[in-house]
Amino acid sequence: MIQAERLSFGYPGRTVLDGVDLTVSDGELVALIGLNGCGKSTLLRLCAGLLRPGAGRVLLDGDDLAGLSRRAAARRVALLHQSAPSVPGMTVRQLVRQGRYAVRGPLGMLRDGDDEVCVRAMADVGVGGWADRPVDALSGGERQRVRLALALAQDTRVLLLDEPTTYLDLRYQLEVMRTVVRLRKERGLTVVMVLHDLGHAARFADRIVALREGSVVADGPPDEVVTPGLLAEVLGVAGRVGRDPVGDWPVCYPDHPLEGPNPLRNENHIH
Amino acid sequence: MKRRLILFSLLALAVGCAGLVAGRALGPAQVWEVLTGGGDPLARHVVLRLRLPRSLVALGAGASLGLAGLVLQSALRNPLAGPEVTGVTPGAVLGAVTATGLGLAGWQSPAAVVVAACAGGFAGAGLLWLLTGREESDPVRTAVHGVLVSAVLSGLTAMVLLVAPGELGSVVQWLVGSTEGRVWEHWNLLWPWTAGWSLLALALAAPLALLRCGDDQAAAAGLNTGRARAAALICAVALTAGAVSAVGAMGFVGLLVPHLAFALFGADPRTALPGAALLGASVVGGADAASQWLSRLLAEVLGADRLSVPTGALTTCVGAALLLVVARRSVKEET
Repeated sequence: MIQAERLSFGYPGRTVLDGVDLTVSDGELVALIGLNGCGKSTLLRLCAGLLRPGAGRVLLDGDDLAGLSRRAAARRVALLHQSAPSVPGMTVRQLVRQGRYAVRGPLGMLRDGDDEVCVRAMADVGVGGWADRPVDALSGGERQRVRLALALAQDTRVLLLDEPTTYLDLRYQLEVMRTVVRLRKERGLTVVMVLHDLGHAARFADRIVALREGSVVADGPPDEVVTPGLLAEVLGVAGRVGRDPVGDWPVCYPDHPLEGPNPLRNENHIH
Repeated sequence: MKRRLILFSLLALAVGCAGLVAGRALGPAQVWEVLTGGGDPLARHVVLRLRLPRSLVALGAGASLGLAGLVLQSALRNPLAGPEVTGVTPGAVLGAVTATGLGLAGWQSPAAVVVAACAGGFAGAGLLWLLTGREESDPVRTAVHGVLVSAVLSGLTAMVLLVAPGELGSVVQWLVGSTEGRVWEHWNLLWPWTAGWSLLALALAAPLALLRCGDDQAAAAGLNTGRARAAALICAVALTAGAVSAVGAMGFVGLLVPHLAFALFGADPRTALPGAALLGASVVGGADAASQWLSRLLAEVLGADRLSVPTGALTTCVGAALLLVVARRSVKEET
């Protein structure tokens, strides 16, 4: 269980998060949505212990993340960043293996073996077949699945994903989403993912948390939260919300950006 | 990979043997006689007191430089980083030259030279760090600043040489890189230093692999990136300083050997690190043998008896050509 309590975070002259509360139960799949710069990636990093909050705290099964070492935190939470630089020549197996660092430590990593976890992680995302191919040679979708395998190799109960579907073709977006949903079910993972696409969030998440200017403005199951009001307030667009004719999940029909200069526009990406 | 490591160990060994027989005055037959326990006193002196330590120092220094370069490139995630272009080597040279010029160290006190070279290496790296800042900047920017820092440090070295030209003869060798006249005293100092820091470098294999994956990814996987990078940089500076105090600024070895090592031994530092050590040893050992052989050839052709080609000049020439290849290849990869 993740409990973020009155989390604040900022840089000099700029507040990114302002008193955010967020509780994620075991086995839940939560989607974070909001405009660029609203603080969703920052919230995710705080939940992984990669940033220290300015105020407030993050509890992981009751333990304060601030009291855990980097390695101890990585044994309990895995985070997949939005993008990563490529490493020339590194093979899929070698990259996925990096996920074992937190468990094995610097000297343990010198040994071979203990690779069942990696093999299973690669099989889980369907990249086991190209274990010895260089990651550089893969397509964007394949690479993303390899990076997902790296996060899975950490063998944590909590998985945090920062826009795992960005830059992917629709087909691969769905593949990644489906993989995450399946793994969540099979392994009982707790998943929090930042999603750019409200459609994916409405389709796959148990709960949607919407952020605006560093505060939570909506929090609930897609059925309740995905409304024309949310489109306007959080994403700054006018539109309608309908239902999928077969599955009955909410579907958005965005129409046009709301009039006037958008006060929410903020191009400062926090990376 | 294991087979390759064995193969390159044999190569390093062969290169070391080549260094033993390449020099003037003694042929392979006489060297063999000495090694099997025979030979006249003069031949014994030449082989056991002059050639053997010289070859060993060349191999050890080469291994140091190869390792230092690989550690540096991985830790800074910069293919253009090398001890020569990040201010580490020129700093170490400045340290060694200054200490010698001030009379604090010299030919007779190699230990003081190591300390001075270390201090200089850290100063050079620190200067670059001050210029580029803590923020992770792009490789090209770091490289440009590195060249700048290196130029300034080399200038300072030249000034020291002009002010205190007394020991010029023994000092110049640090500028070009030379294995001439290295004796057991140098080897006795070099090997424990190199062995110790090499072990640390190997222990850092996993953090280095993670650092190559980028800081975000490394931190998410559980690495304290700041601490790991600091340890790696200290290790690289110490290895470089050890090599510089033994053989001087051996050009381009630390910059280029890592590229070869990654290409031949894969992206995993667990194999790339020993690979870089073996390659570095082979390159400098080979250059040492080649320079001895060239000196002999030149002596025969020109009749100049005292002429000797510095090893560093050879590594620099070969390195420059290789650098061109690497640069062209990395441009192609980017487009």
